[in-house]
Amino acid sequence: MTARFAFDAAMALAILFAGVMVVHRHPVKSVLALVVSFFALAVGYVLLSAPLIAAIQVIVYAGAILVLFLFVLMLLNVPAEVRQTPGRPIHHTLSAGAIVAFAAALLAVFRSYGASSAPPGPLPANPADLAPLAKLLFSDHILSFEALSILLLAALVGAFALARREGSP
Amino acid sequence: MSAADLGIAALRVLAPVLVMLIVLPMLQWVERRGAGLIQDRPGPNRVGPFGLLQPLADVVKFFMKEDLIPSNTDRFLYVLAPGLATFAALSTFAVIPYGATLTAGGRSIPLIGADISIGILYLFAITSLSVYGIVLAGWSSNNKFSLIGGIRSSAQIISYELAMTTAAAGVILSAGSFQLTEVVVQQGGSWFALPYRGWNVVPQFVGFVVFFVSAFAETNRVPFDLPEAEAELVAGYHTEYSAMKFAMFYMAEYINVIVASALTVTLYLGGWTLPGFSPSGIVGVLVSILVFAVKVSVLVWIFMWVRWTLPRFRYDQLMRLGWKTLLPLALLNLFWVAALALWKVL
Repeated sequence: MTARFAFDAAMALAILFAGVMVVHRHPVKSVLALVVSFFALAVGYVLLSAPLIAAIQVIVYAGAILVLFLFVLMLLNVPAEVRQTPGRPIHHTLSAGAIVAFAAALLAVFRSYGASSAPPGPLPANPADLAPLAKLLFSDHILSFEALSILLLAALVGAFALARREGSP
Repeated sequence: MSAADLGIAALRVLAPVLVMLIVLPMLQWVERRGAGLIQDRPGPNRVGPFGLLQPLADVVKFFMKEDLIPSNTDRFLYVLAPGLATFAALSTFAVIPYGATLTAGGRSIPLIGADISIGILYLFAITSLSVYGIVLAGWSSNNKFSLIGGIRSSAQIISYELAMTTAAAGVILSAGSFQLTEVVVQQGGSWFALPYRGWNVVPQFVGFVVFFVSAFAETNRVPFDLPEAEAELVAGYHTEYSAMKFAMFYMAEYINVIVASALTVTLYLGGWTLPGFSPSGIVGVLVSILVFAVKVSVLVWIFMWVRWTLPRFRYDQLMRLGWKTLLPLALLNLFWVAALALWKVL
């Protein structure tokens, strides 16, 4: 019961700060809101007994990618945005309504895909055990795993080529 | 869960944290006296015998000082930043085993805050968050020197984290587990029989060196203390901080040094194990804690020794070392460990 409550609280926090990320007018604050949101998501993963996903979520997203975002924002010293069109109440109301309608539609779609309360398939005996996951990743899904690493390598080489093209020999 | 279990769990978590908070001022004394020793001067020697009460005087001074918040700062983040730094530093110790399993009163108590299955990953997750304290301090201070310090810190920590994680991957590979208790137990076996079950530093010496050097960069210590290079940046990210907020950054730095040493001991130097020593009973467990403490102290001293011996790197040298030397070496180490595992040596 407490786990359920903690999960709901974490998810509410994640959604709340995702919202803050969108509406905040200072880009640095937006990134920080996203950090909190990702951290809340990681808590959710832990409560869903997927600690590995939680750790990767924090290491990769909160710890590396968002630090890079911050790095770039601070390097450019981006100021807070000024409101472009002051006072258009009808537009604001309409766009807020559209967002709510879209969210409701999305929720309905997910519901119709049978997001039942029963867990999909049997959970492993020890949910924190990583061996089954590793076995699956390196046997059944080895092809997609390796393809992904080649994709990342290609992206790396591409970024390098783009960065070196101008000016330097 | 009974009250006794709860109490034991609380003690397991709190004990290392409290010990660290008590050791911190002493470390500061050791560092300053050690600096004096290396530079052929007395160091602090006025407050108490051998200046032993100097840390206490410093603490009182930190509490009595005026806590300034400069104008035009982002107040919320400015106050939050030192707390984040200290929190991240303190919470890392939760997954480091600091002694053998204690069996008393029908209970078996592993001496570790939380023996989770993804211990190493948890550590890297928290250390990767510790950069936020420094970056936010630099940014919210509204001072160009602070800002440069914060930016340098983020670039440096991301670069060295890569080499550090890749080096640690060798240990994960040879242990076959992310669990740090498992990593330690696997280093407590025979040094001469195959598969090798001694300290990881022997088969993975390259990994050990890469990991330890990266630890210097991750903790912002000399020769990699570019984020606070006082010769060019005043005091870097904590230029504008005073009183206890400044002291919190100071504490975070020292805790990070202890944690980095403890982690290096756990991954490469056998944790609380000694060759030919199998802890039994309360005395054995106490000895294992002592072994761990001595190993960590030696590494902490090396941190200080290096600080007062080596000059600071230039920023481009720092980046070149990280990307062009340490990362390839870490990858090489990983291949080496994989080959050893394939030949059934590990």
